[in-house]
Amino acid sequence: MSVREERPIPAPPVNPETRPFWDAAAAGRLLLKRCAACTQPHHYPRVICPFCGSDRTEWTEATGRGTVYSYSVFRRAPIPYAIAYVTLAEGVTMMTNIVDCDVDAIRIGQPVRVVFKPTEGGPPVPMFTPA
Amino acid sequence: MKTLRDRYGIVGVGETEYSRGSNRTTRAMAVEAVRKAILDAGLTAADVDGMMSYQNGDSTPANWVAPDLGIRLNFYMDVVGGGSSTEALIGLAMGAIEAGMCSTVAIFRSMNGYSEFRIGGTGVRAAQPVRGLDLAQVPFGMRSAGQNFALTFMRHMYEYGTTSEQVAHVKVAHSKHASQNPKALLKERVTVEDVVGSRWIVKPLHLLDCCLETDNATCLIVTSAERARDCRPRPVYVMGVAGRVNKPRTDFHWAHGPITRVAGHYARDIVFGQAGIGPEDVDVTGSYDAFTFTTMLQLEEYGFCPKGEGGAYVSSGTIELGGKRPNNTAGGHLCEGYTHGMSMVIENVRQLRGTVDDYCPGAADGVHTYDYGPGRCRQVRDAEIAMNLGWAMPPTGSALILRR
Ligand SMILES: [Zn+2]
Repeated sequence: MSVREERPIPAPPVNPETRPFWDAAAAGRLLLKRCAACTQPHHYPRVICPFCGSDRTEWTEATGRGTVYSYSVFRRAPIPYAIAYVTLAEGVTMMTNIVDCDVDAIRIGQPVRVVFKPTEGGPPVPMFTPA
Repeated sequence: MKTLRDRYGIVGVGETEYSRGSNRTTRAMAVEAVRKAILDAGLTAADVDGMMSYQNGDSTPANWVAPDLGIRLNFYMDVVGGGSSTEALIGLAMGAIEAGMCSTVAIFRSMNGYSEFRIGGTGVRAAQPVRGLDLAQVPFGMRSAGQNFALTFMRHMYEYGTTSEQVAHVKVAHSKHASQNPKALLKERVTVEDVVGSRWIVKPLHLLDCCLETDNATCLIVTSAERARDCRPRPVYVMGVAGRVNKPRTDFHWAHGPITRVAGHYARDIVFGQAGIGPEDVDVTGSYDAFTFTTMLQLEEYGFCPKGEGGAYVSSGTIELGGKRPNNTAGGHLCEGYTHGMSMVIENVRQLRGTVDDYCPGAADGVHTYDYGPGRCRQVRDAEIAMNLGWAMPPTGSALILRR
């Protein structure tokens, strides 16, 4: 098997509101925010629950399993890559990349699992690969 | 439903040349476009006392443009925005006049969209660095409008069986229209095979599914119906306006509801409610064509066809000149040039006046042949009601209904 050339990944911005997410990513764990009032999970992590308005949101660990909701392949780049929205088993949908696979073989509805990819000088980011 | 139906009008329109290398500042181009719109209305600089523009750090603000034209303003406002701003600013201009702040407002957009700031451009032609929540997209390589839209289109194809060939008909129709437009950057008619055979940009978008980055300035003038009746051209009245309406959680819209639903889902009741009409009453549409798919998605979301049947609708001949409801009769952003929506409203104003600037010798006097062959006529016969569907990024949109 040939060595796959990988796209250099810029470091994600880490701010006070998202630091727990990135600290967990560095430890290989995918976190979501869940509302203690209405129990609904959400992503991107917010301070206020977008469903009920409660400020009682807390971090919870996700299984890292999901399916491809939609995707696209960017061809106008030196190394083509696949951006995707993945719907996690917990029900939330997140922006990500589908990696370590043939980008032309990706399909909507395909099961995927999380992998953490190193970035240029920042914490690793959660990406997904066919399960 | 509150409505200002028929109480305001668009009385003047103007634009510079569409080019790929203007060799001019956005200031000089804006001055030309505003001046032309004032002359088109039969007004003088002294009659204009309001000015608005929209931009993304890539243009010249109203308070630099107005003095070059000898205009003293009672009201001006420059807003951040791209597509879907045109319709929204027409509504805001009506609001400023209604509030008694001013009486006549010139709205302009001036940009060197090819030679200075390109969409998704890099190096010296890169746009301003992205800030705020968008930063969370950076590691995933989400950098351009095409990428941002592509996932919505892919899901539409998956859910409804929409094909690249169906959607390519949008480009085919708009190229047909542009072949009757002396101003258009791309006057050559293209085929479905040309579109799907062009190179991939970002799946499912081929090169010819994407609009033409352009240098240009555009302007239109809004005033009250009373003043409109005293202006030189046949008045064109605003029946309804909505903007900039968005989906829940604009920043991460895919996390809430189907991504194949666009902002028109929320805007349609506002705009049709004000106007007191439905889609079947509209003679001409101007559905924003940053990409072939955006035209299709909006037409179905506003009810011109059932949801999910946009592919069949745009490939049926309906949206072509000679069809039941032509779309973007000047060629739109895919063929005439990219203006962030202004040119599509300008075209609809001219359609309703009956004075579309095609190749007919008597066009300025409203004398047309209605021969839609290449290099001939693009006037829609007896167009009474026109609608614009503006769009900015997947979750935001605006709408405008005009009548003669
Ligand atoms: Zn809640």
